[in-house]
Amino acid sequence: MKIVTQKLTTKESLYFFEIAKGLWITARHFVKNMYFHIAHLYGKYQEVPAAVTIQYPEEKIPVSKRWRGNHRINSRPDGSPRCVACMLCETVCPVQCIHIIAGEHPDPNIEKYPVSFDVDVTRCCWCGMCEEACPVDAIYMDTGKTPEPGYSREDLVYHKEQLLKETPLPNYQRSLNTPGQGPMKANPMGL
Amino acid sequence: MYLDIIITLIKIAIVFGFVLNVAAILSWAERKQSAVMQDRIGANRADVLGFRIFGLFHPIADTIKMLTKEDWVPPAGDAFVHTMAPFLALFTALVVFAVIPFGDTLHIAGRDIPLQIADLNVGILFIVAFGGLGFYSVVLAGWSSENKYSLLGSLRAAAQLISYELALGLSIVGIVMVYGSIELDDIARAQGQYILGFIPYWGIIAQPLGFLLFFTAAVAETKRVPFDLPESESEIIGYFTEYSGMKFGAFWMGEFIEVVAVAGVVTALYFGGWQIPFVNNQGIFFPGLFTIPLPHVLIVLLQVAAFGLKVLFFCWFMLLVRWTLPRFRYDQLMAFGWKFMVPLALLNILVTGLFMYVF
Amino acid sequence: MPTVTIDERQVTVDPGTSILEAAKKLGIFIPHYCYHPRLTIVDACRMCLVEVKGAPKLVTSCSNAVADNMVVFTDTPKVEEARQSVLEFLLINHPLDCPICDKSGECLLQNYYFCHSRKPSRFKENKVKKHKVVDLGPKIVLDSERCIVCTRCVRFCKEVAGEEILGIFNRADHSEIGVFPGKKLENNYQGNLADVCPVGALTARDFRFKCRSWFLCQIDTICPGCSNGCNAVVHFTLRNFNGLKGQRVFRLTPRENNDVNKVWLCDVGRWGYAFVDSIDRLTMPAMRKGEDFVKTDWNTALKETANRLKTLVERYGANAIGVIPSPHLTNEDLYALKCLFGCLLKIANIDFKVPGFDKGEDDKILLKADRHPNTKGAELLGLSGTGLSVEAMMDKVKAGEIKALYLAGSDPVKYMGEKAEEALSRAELVIFQGTNFNASCKLAHIVLPGATFVEKEGTFTNYQGRVQKVNKALEPLGEAMADWEIFTRLGQMLGVFPSYRSAEEVFMDIAREVAPFAGITYKKIGSQGIKLTLPEGPVLSEAKE
Repeated sequence: MKIVTQKLTTKESLYFFEIAKGLWITARHFVKNMYFHIAHLYGKYQEVPAAVTIQYPEEKIPVSKRWRGNHRINSRPDGSPRCVACMLCETVCPVQCIHIIAGEHPDPNIEKYPVSFDVDVTRCCWCGMCEEACPVDAIYMDTGKTPEPGYSREDLVYHKEQLLKETPLPNYQRSLNTPGQGPMKANPMGL
Repeated sequence: MYLDIIITLIKIAIVFGFVLNVAAILSWAERKQSAVMQDRIGANRADVLGFRIFGLFHPIADTIKMLTKEDWVPPAGDAFVHTMAPFLALFTALVVFAVIPFGDTLHIAGRDIPLQIADLNVGILFIVAFGGLGFYSVVLAGWSSENKYSLLGSLRAAAQLISYELALGLSIVGIVMVYGSIELDDIARAQGQYILGFIPYWGIIAQPLGFLLFFTAAVAETKRVPFDLPESESEIIGYFTEYSGMKFGAFWMGEFIEVVAVAGVVTALYFGGWQIPFVNNQGIFFPGLFTIPLPHVLIVLLQVAAFGLKVLFFCWFMLLVRWTLPRFRYDQLMAFGWKFMVPLALLNILVTGLFMYVF
Repeated sequence: MPTVTIDERQVTVDPGTSILEAAKKLGIFIPHYCYHPRLTIVDACRMCLVEVKGAPKLVTSCSNAVADNMVVFTDTPKVEEARQSVLEFLLINHPLDCPICDKSGECLLQNYYFCHSRKPSRFKENKVKKHKVVDLGPKIVLDSERCIVCTRCVRFCKEVAGEEILGIFNRADHSEIGVFPGKKLENNYQGNLADVCPVGALTARDFRFKCRSWFLCQIDTICPGCSNGCNAVVHFTLRNFNGLKGQRVFRLTPRENNDVNKVWLCDVGRWGYAFVDSIDRLTMPAMRKGEDFVKTDWNTALKETANRLKTLVERYGANAIGVIPSPHLTNEDLYALKCLFGCLLKIANIDFKVPGFDKGEDDKILLKADRHPNTKGAELLGLSGTGLSVEAMMDKVKAGEIKALYLAGSDPVKYMGEKAEEALSRAELVIFQGTNFNASCKLAHIVLPGATFVEKEGTFTNYQGRVQKVNKALEPLGEAMADWEIFTRLGQMLGVFPSYRSAEEVFMDIAREVAPFAGITYKKIGSQGIKLTLPEGPVLSEAKE
């Protein structure tokens, strides 16, 4: 092992100037940030941030277009889920966090619908394979949300009703057919 | 006679009110200032009915927390000494303010009221003496905790305090030589002179090296970064390991009061005390030109305000230092104190003496 | 005996054997839809085309019998092309909604497409829309769009179920399967329609949408529905989440056994598995405290049982205890029971023949009147006729001469009604050991939970005297235990008793001790069972081949 010791120069070994330099840097930051903090109080220079902090629950980091957040189920124009309970997401899910109970749909052309659709986010690994497996564009992970903490495991199981209420993040790349926004994507299964 | 006592009590109330408030706010300021220096926002979550006022409720929340926490005394320790130690720390830090002048003598209703709680003719000795007493609280806290680590921590702290006590005392000698008094009021008054008619004859001008040495040693006395080995919250077991609740809070508070005290002493000795440049007891004057007369009470109030601002500036500066510099290693600390500070202080005395002999 | 060469391998088969079956003998699989080994050949799907040397065109392998020195190729490019074309035609109108089709994963169209075609559709016109979700009765649902008109179901109804109910209506691509006017699909073999259907056209309502086929595990078992002992496969899942409501077993499908059930399974047996996961399963040992049952642990329950039985035997003699086993139990369970009560406690009053236990309905095809899978086994193990009959036991209980009754899986209240109820409520001690809560269990003092047929290993002897094996698919629900295990633990508390660790060890003892079982091992039983050489004398009245 080679030990390299850095020899201080005479000026450095006096410490005084180095300390002054350090104090100058911190003082400069203090004055600059303080200036903008005060300016913000008066509504000026709002575009210049005074701190890099993001006040999390109130502000959120803008997520990437391809970021996978909480799940969502797309709905048909009548508000019922587009999911046909084929359980391909349940099958492909590597951590088995999706549980679907299928039922007979009154419309024979739809045939099958999810009586219950539970996503256990305590198990979810956010891989997005459910999105890819879905043949009818029903499940999306485009809400841009992270799971909120819960007091019980049951709180962290998202049910069909909750998943249907979620709305997609605007401009999310995978969001191909948001209800009410743009034309519906032609469905390969004609559903 | 009674009036004197009442006036003294009022002065005590004003000074203590100022010191204790500043110390409390310093606990908030320390968080916020460090945050602003580091491009953060800092503590701002404590709210009362939705109001957060920049996190100013945090000191209150802290106090409530400390008061309601369990006050634990080590069963094998000395309960009396254990309880006394934090109060000793508070007391020695507070009592220093008794001799610090915060304004010119106020002439009001035919009375001369010196704006200083006690005009002791041994002012500087009083400060040094009580500063030195502070180390008892450290030793007693460590000893009464009946914890070997605490005891070792307290000895380490005591060694540091004593080492820097020396440099502190020696660096003040220069000031005493320059102004020829150990009475703080005299020193503050003497700083109202001007060199060449327009440069204020402040301690920082007369004793630049003395100021640096004094300030450094004083920071070491307050046990703050870069000399915070006695505490070093996250790394070493210090002397107040066995303290909890408000007793721990008292140590903490004592530290902030020491900060204010050091700021006060530095102001009084090196930054002209209550003096404002180009303001004398007549009004604003421009050397050799003219004077704008001001009423006496206003001048005194301005001087008190100037003293307060100077103290606040030094508080700010000490926080700046605290959030800028890294901590010394223990051997570096001792080497710095004994091999650098003390010889330099002696040199300062020598040079000061030479100057005084020559001029 | 013609010898044919199929894919350059020679095989000698009986005259009249089809090419497809000859190939099967060689282990060569020829894809097919309409062909079914147990149904007549109709030559409809054209999927089984093969190339025969010398023949001008491809020939259907299902309907053409082999001839001597015939040379057949099953995987030439020409054959592959034919298969692809057939698949393309079939897929023209077949909806491409495999994800929601219940058959997917076990659908022949899906499988053959992936094996032989994998071509995108070239069809641009609109698909023919047909009826979806057609109700063919309470058990079967028809989806005409998915039907490929192989007519297996039509032939099944006509030839196996014995009634012409289904037929093809309309022509060409509008062909649809339907029920003849005025007729109803209500026979006892509808479940097989879902099995024979190669695609998702006919699905069983019981299984429809309950579970995807790929989530299911399978294990060979024997249908416990009646004494016929049909070979079956139990489909179960190891997944467990709230929504399943504890359902673990999803269906029973038939398994081929030419000596027992051919390839069929009746609806009674097929859908009789529900008790396995039903809400009234006994999962914990329990003891009566006043009117209620209090849950307890095995040690306490078994100790209590042993102590009370021992006390009764000491005070009143072995004849004060009556044992009523059930022919629902396996041979192993019954043998352990016999060892415990017959040999160890010297109880003579053991009788499984609860009056009326074999008086069900016999449909002359598979379903037998005796709805117990192991009546023959119980008989061969001598669990009847050694002492009092069940009826006599009940009388003696009422008279106070028999103090305790041990009900091993049997439910006398179900068959004997009030008489048994009165007797059980008068008995000093009633021990119920079984799988589900029932009227007899209600009157018990100690309840011991037993395992069902999917939760334990064992053998059943069917009415012909064929020993067949059931396998353990799942762990017993809750704290339930296989019955032979309960008897073993009880026996060890009461005295010297063999320490069986597995059902196989019990069966080895049976093979050693019980004459008809001599020399039989689990290995010899295999998947198809083994027929016993029955002793002379009267056997069950139903026994007829």
